Amino acid sequence: MTICYLCDQMNMLQQTMRLLWRDWILEWRTRYALSGIVLYVLATIVLVYSALIDIQPKVWNAIFWVIILFAAVSAIVKSFVQESQSRQLYYYNLVHPLALLLAKMIYNTSLLFLLSLLSWGALALLTGNPVKETGLFILAIFLGSMGLSIAFTFVSAISAKAQNSATLMAILGFPVIIPILLTLVKIGANALRLIQDTSISSDILILVAINLVLLSVSILLYPFLWRD
Amino acid sequence: MEKLIRQYWWKALGVLILLYVFVVGMLVPLKPGITLVAPSSAKTGQELILEIEGYNTNFDKAEDTLRMWLKMDNERSLAAKSIDVIGPRNARVAFNIPDYLPSSQRVQDFALVIDNPIDGASVRPNAVLITQDSIDPDQGIQQWVNENMTGLHEKQGITFPFRNILGETIRNTYFHVSLWLAMMIIFIAAMVYSIKYLRRLDNRYDYWASALTSVGLLLGGLGLLTGAIWAEYTWGKFWSWDIKQFTTLIALLIYMAYFVLRSAFPDEAQRARISAVYNIFAFIALIPLIYVLPRLTDSLHPGNGGNPALGGEDLDNTMRMVFYPAVIGWTLVSSWIASLLYRTSQIEEYLWDKWDEDDNYEK
Repeated sequence: MTICYLCDQMNMLQQTMRLLWRDWILEWRTRYALSGIVLYVLATIVLVYSALIDIQPKVWNAIFWVIILFAAVSAIVKSFVQESQSRQLYYYNLVHPLALLLAKMIYNTSLLFLLSLLSWGALALLTGNPVKETGLFILAIFLGSMGLSIAFTFVSAISAKAQNSATLMAILGFPVIIPILLTLVKIGANALRLIQDTSISSDILILVAINLVLLSVSILLYPFLWRD
Repeated sequence: MEKLIRQYWWKALGVLILLYVFVVGMLVPLKPGITLVAPSSAKTGQELILEIEGYNTNFDKAEDTLRMWLKMDNERSLAAKSIDVIGPRNARVAFNIPDYLPSSQRVQDFALVIDNPIDGASVRPNAVLITQDSIDPDQGIQQWVNENMTGLHEKQGITFPFRNILGETIRNTYFHVSLWLAMMIIFIAAMVYSIKYLRRLDNRYDYWASALTSVGLLLGGLGLLTGAIWAEYTWGKFWSWDIKQFTTLIALLIYMAYFVLRSAFPDEAQRARISAVYNIFAFIALIPLIYVLPRLTDSLHPGNGGNPALGGEDLDNTMRMVFYPAVIGWTLVSSWIASLLYRTSQIEEYLWDKWDEDDNYEK
């Protein structure tokens, strides 16, 4: 059985919230992900801008999701790797393992959502804002950050167990997130009014369904994953 | 399971079924059909002479009983004025097209129907497009000399359906489609063994999961290959980045990653546990990839993008008699391959243990 010292004092939601708070504080202290991603977005935009000069909405849509994808990889890859094995063992003694996973997922979702909004802002500042349906685009960004976070957090939990974990995460993660990316590009094209699609609500439903399925599978499988 | 993999009957059964599938699936002829109708467009008020090329037909043997119609809809059809048979597969037929058609459209499509007692009836939909200069449906109804198609014959003997875009490649159903179904069965079995491993932590389940996954990957690769060959014939290109081809490739990449993951762990128990977790995760991620997404996007593949799926007229009862055994046969033979892989990894484990013992002994 799990030894969980804080379980008597807090329920799982409180534990999750506490861990989430701790993750944010850690991020705020170093601003590692935030500054890294801002640099990354700027570099990409400058490069693409100087190569294409005039960025068409179609290209804009592609560039945006490419930026989000790599932002997700570089932000999430360190979820389980940045902390040493012994400190993780300490956490597992303190809290329920699922609280740890959920906290990471929520933290990554919020971080990625924030980063996406930031890169959207930066892109809009430099190249103009082609997004016509803002609400739909924000919804797509939110669902996308959620899906990418869930998939990549779980995959990083798997690959953290091996040595060469960054490479392994890319190999395991990229095929898994393709369905999410395909749907995101489609919803993004709708929000930019590149295509007129009447079945947009079913696309959103698909994305929600993929997120929920990946989330529940992760929760079901994590108990078998964390202990060594 | 341990007993079953040492028995021969199901392996023999699998091989026999596949033998049956290859022999029957390759040798049964196609139903007679029409491969070419020229010219494909005409005008009203003319005598229309069509050159017809049949497939597997016997026009010469049935010269006296050969009948042909141009069919407009279920009520209206036009009988041939004269038929010249040139060879078993070629004929020339003349129709009298009236000045007006009983239709309010400028361009009306007609299907060509050929019937004789030897070949049975065959149809080519949208064979001829007839353009009328001026539209007058009432006069068209008056001028129309209707001749209903009665007493159509059925082809005797066992045949597979003839489809214009498929031709002989309709036989690929027994390979492409059934390999794919067998792959799904094998991947489901691999996932079940992964779940079993997580419940019991017995190494044998891990060997099964990995053996089944590699066989599933082989079947998937063959499915993709036969699909590409089929696509070359029907879509004109081996690989056209159709959404179905793309998502299938990604699905196979997910399972290739499974083996990369396995090779990353030197410790056996850790490898077994983590790869079992990934295998279940991969299967779940596979479902939206191959069954949900392609249905929502434009695709050339049957069953996607609004296209009809397998079934209906494309899979008649004769084909079912080969298709369902093919699925069972591929599944049995791939289970056999998986059981061989499973036994190899057992022997490997035994040899490694023995080697470890000898090593320790020498020290």
